[in-house]
Amino acid sequence: MEIENIQSSAAIPAKTAGEPNRAPIQAILLQLRAFIALLILFGFFAIYSDSFMQTNNLIILTKQVAINAILGIGMTYVILTGGIDLSVGSIVGLCGIVAGGLINEGLVLSVFDVVIYFNIWIVMGLTIICGMLIGMFNGILVTRFSVAPFIATLGTLYIARGLALLRNSGATFPNLVGDPELGNTGFPKLGAGELLGLPYSIWIMAALAIIGTFIAMKTPFGRQIYAIGGNQRAARLSGVRVKQVTLMAYVISGFCAAIVGLIITSQLVSAHPATGESFELNAIAAVVLGGTSLSGGRGTIGGTIIGAFVIGVLSNGMIIEGVSSFWQTVIKGVVIILAVMIDQFQQRLQKRNG
Amino acid sequence: MNPITDDIILHAEKVQKVYPGTVALKDVDFNIYRGKVNALVGENGAGKSTLMKILAGVEQVTSGKLILNGKEIAPKSPREAEALGIGIIYQELNLFPNLNVSENIFVAHERTVGGSLVNHREQERQTAELMKRLEQPIKPRTLVSNLRIGQQQIVEIAKSLARNTQILIMDEPTSALSNTEVEVLFRVIRELKTQGVSIVYISHKLEELLQIGDYITVLRDGQLIATAPMPEINLRWIVENMVGRGSATAYTPAAHEIRDDALRVENLTLPHPGKAQGYLLDHVSFSLRAGEILGIYGLMGAGRTELFETLMGLYPDATGDVLLYGESLKGKSIRERIQSGVMLIPEDRQREGLVQTLSVAHNMLLASLHNHLFLKVVLSGRKEKNSVERHIEELSIKVSNRNNPIGSLSGGNQQKVVVAKALLTSPKVLLMDEPTRGIDVGAKEEIFTIMVQLAQRGLGVLFVSTELKEVLAMADRILVMSKGRITAEIPRAEATEEALVAASAIGHELVKAGV
Amino acid sequence: MNKRSWFKLVKLLILAVIVLGGLTPNGNTLKAQDEAPLIVIITPSHDNPFFKAEADIAQARAEELGYRTLVLIHDDDPNLQDQHFDVAISQGAAAIILDNAGADASIAPIQRAKDAGIPTFLIDREINETGVAAVQLVSNNYQGAVLGGEEFVRLMGGEGKYVELLGRETDTNAAIRSQGYNDVIADYPDLELVAQQTANWSQTEAFDVMETIIQANPDIKGVISGNDTMALGAAAALQAAGMTDVIVVGFDGSPDVMDAIRQGTIQATVLQPVANFSEIAVDLADTYIQTGELPEEEKQSIDCILITPENVDEYGVFAPLE
Repeated sequence: MEIENIQSSAAIPAKTAGEPNRAPIQAILLQLRAFIALLILFGFFAIYSDSFMQTNNLIILTKQVAINAILGIGMTYVILTGGIDLSVGSIVGLCGIVAGGLINEGLVLSVFDVVIYFNIWIVMGLTIICGMLIGMFNGILVTRFSVAPFIATLGTLYIARGLALLRNSGATFPNLVGDPELGNTGFPKLGAGELLGLPYSIWIMAALAIIGTFIAMKTPFGRQIYAIGGNQRAARLSGVRVKQVTLMAYVISGFCAAIVGLIITSQLVSAHPATGESFELNAIAAVVLGGTSLSGGRGTIGGTIIGAFVIGVLSNGMIIEGVSSFWQTVIKGVVIILAVMIDQFQQRLQKRNG
Repeated sequence: MNPITDDIILHAEKVQKVYPGTVALKDVDFNIYRGKVNALVGENGAGKSTLMKILAGVEQVTSGKLILNGKEIAPKSPREAEALGIGIIYQELNLFPNLNVSENIFVAHERTVGGSLVNHREQERQTAELMKRLEQPIKPRTLVSNLRIGQQQIVEIAKSLARNTQILIMDEPTSALSNTEVEVLFRVIRELKTQGVSIVYISHKLEELLQIGDYITVLRDGQLIATAPMPEINLRWIVENMVGRGSATAYTPAAHEIRDDALRVENLTLPHPGKAQGYLLDHVSFSLRAGEILGIYGLMGAGRTELFETLMGLYPDATGDVLLYGESLKGKSIRERIQSGVMLIPEDRQREGLVQTLSVAHNMLLASLHNHLFLKVVLSGRKEKNSVERHIEELSIKVSNRNNPIGSLSGGNQQKVVVAKALLTSPKVLLMDEPTRGIDVGAKEEIFTIMVQLAQRGLGVLFVSTELKEVLAMADRILVMSKGRITAEIPRAEATEEALVAASAIGHELVKAGV
Repeated sequence: MNKRSWFKLVKLLILAVIVLGGLTPNGNTLKAQDEAPLIVIITPSHDNPFFKAEADIAQARAEELGYRTLVLIHDDDPNLQDQHFDVAISQGAAAIILDNAGADASIAPIQRAKDAGIPTFLIDREINETGVAAVQLVSNNYQGAVLGGEEFVRLMGGEGKYVELLGRETDTNAAIRSQGYNDVIADYPDLELVAQQTANWSQTEAFDVMETIIQANPDIKGVISGNDTMALGAAAALQAAGMTDVIVVGFDGSPDVMDAIRQGTIQATVLQPVANFSEIAVDLADTYIQTGELPEEEKQSIDCILITPENVDEYGVFAPLE
């Protein structure tokens, strides 16, 4: 990487090239904290549990992490602008239902009295567009109507969930295998298929993480996202189109949520309107654990992926060990609070040293 | 001076304040006389606000002592200073518009019943008493948002009095007041004096000081320059001490050729937001030529910053026209204006110029990312590196690594990064709002040199300053603004401090008449 | 971040994984054979005593028979349930006991477990597919609802305004129970349904919904609820409004409602003998593991029992007293 990452991050040490690194060891440890936490968790469960380090379990763990990590990638963009997207869980549910409906019932054009069944690629394309449109709706509320992101996306959370329930009167779209006569078979492959022994969802996560990092680091759009989160007024006076860029962040978040909706629906081979409840909180937790500041401008997608893995390893390890799910919830909360406390501590340390 | 009859309530001795990179106050001695108005003047960056913050407990001295009534004090917080009887009223009032007058006066010092319930009746009774003492007809239950600015200031004063303030620091108290409101304020100040309250009065409006002040202290570059009882001195004395005529080995800009019109501003008018009448900019017209350095002088609130922001396109409801080399900028967005060749270096570096979370390099490139692309979409690391390193060298920015956080630089170097950001947009006209604010003397000269170099390259440079010396030294031509209007246009050869001060006070004269 | 430090990080990670993997006994092999086989029990959240009893009884029975157990909760989230199936498969479970999170959404994971050679024994809720699960042991919800409906009609005296609280709309049992109630009530035209609302199986939601309904219909005479937690919420709202003589009928037979029946705030409920099917499911799993045999009928239904103040003391936690 030519352009060094200067945004301080939990995941990645900000090292200055060409100069002996004189940062105190504690500062380095703090910056690497999410990564260290991940290693410690790995080590702990590897020693404590017989089955944790089995290849199968590691693949399953990564597959489960992928869901949260993909949502986290979109969420990172939004949080980098200083916003938040509470609607992603509902978008997951709605997009699943949209895809399920298109496969099982097709697109009903009552005006012309016809039903159109689409090829599975088009179904997925339409579903993704649907997610992006909801993201755009969030973005328009935030940028054009100056609704606080928390409120705007909270509203969308309810709207999207309600629409998902309305679409099929609260019922599930079952058995989404398609019909060879209609030419829309193959949807379950997305969830069940493998490439080189790894499920597609893991590859999708990896691809999105790489593309997401590239966009954040190497395009004007990414740079402007960081600028807006760091100082919106300064960004505006530098000619950054604050509204458009912020809106795009929400569209990206909607895009990622739609992808997750497709993956889950495909894994379950059925679309359930309640899917994705409280996913937004897990995604936010992953972003925050990864060292992204909720006030914006600071953080990386790599950090978010590590954050998602911390949550995933923790819950997978505890599930295998049969820890009560009530305790799992408590421990997850403690970890998130610790992460934010350490983040504050690091910022203070940085300020003092700077 | 009459130190025999006048009693010193607070004495600051050899006060020194060092910030990383700059010395804000150097061995300053300062007396506050009991029951008098102690005026404090100096240009921006002279150290007034630092001294004020030390007295109010916001900042602590690096060395030196504060002696209050014979006892050494060291307030660590505004709350501690308050307990010692030192209160402060900032230029930006600190009131809660959604609370009423008595609630504001007793906020965080609520009078209570049994230690927990607010005793509104008692608070309102005491408020009414305070208002009587200040001879102001303000009702305790009025919402503060329904009061005029002048009345809000009275509420601030009452708030201080309610906390038994003996020393009241007032920072630019008249900057937002109408002339009649200033008269009321002065009456209140005189009233406070008779009640034994000592006032520290900070203002840029020198005529005001002559009217209300009893003693005057002049600071310049963090040092005490002169102090005298007011009757012994005049306006000329103040200006000379502030600007430092004797020592002014003023910067002399190198020659630069002035060419054709670059920017024409015609009848630019910006209505006051939220007010039916009144203008922030009142039919402003002028032109700026290529290769010219045009200075704008004016007091706080004269409309200088609004002028620049309007030129950048921040206020879509401004009327009038702006022509850049004959091309109208009307209706263009900030981004389009930057691409046309206008760029602003804002007054407040921290709030408007820089993104604190980005590195030196990323800040510098922020306005010109589209010029550093590879295959039209991807940022080219090589192009970015070249641009950044070229400007670090050209502007001699002191930074060990371009990827260091922007906050690790000194104020002067941060300002150079902002300048570099502007230059990277290849501007034809550069708007510099207080380009030397809060940076040390050496860095100031470097900024001046850069301004001249830019003019030599044919850029039109428009800059604003509240420092007389700076405007006089740098500008080829000077516009003076007051109350949103251009009140004078003075070529360099004819410019004098007195002329600038006089023109900057146009529209404020009624104060004099009112006394 | 330059290339070299990235490489260092990656190397560090790989190294750590290898070292830690090496430290682990049986690093990459399946479970040691000498350990007892594992039965994974997956149910909805234990904040409902019904599901807690279901899981606890199954766990106790499995451990009694010498199995290791892993109890997981899916919170009615099909995606979480799907992940739990992955865990069960990777842990090499011998059998799965499941109270599922969706009649359609559960088919895919059950099939996946079957493909991996792990039979799933469904309890309480069925799925919309046969031939996938080993056994589906469900209480006869329709029969139970008819029992409840008949008792409700009797208590109402065949007339008056009443309210029906529905379970989560996405749950099949909610629909089946409502169907059972209404098939009975339809024969009594003097019973007037003034409100039919979902409270998502939840006590707090039922409380809120009931409070609102009371405002519009202060003269209601009875409430019939899709489960016990909602019945408790409704009863609490009625008590708070001073409407102590309104008839409330629930479904499940949870210990809390049994208490309420003793105190008279709820008049009747329908007991699903959970203890029975948890135990039967584990026993069937045990038989399968020992002999590879499954019962001929995949779907087996267990009849429900009406609980009234008269017989309430004869029943314990989701089962008749011994």
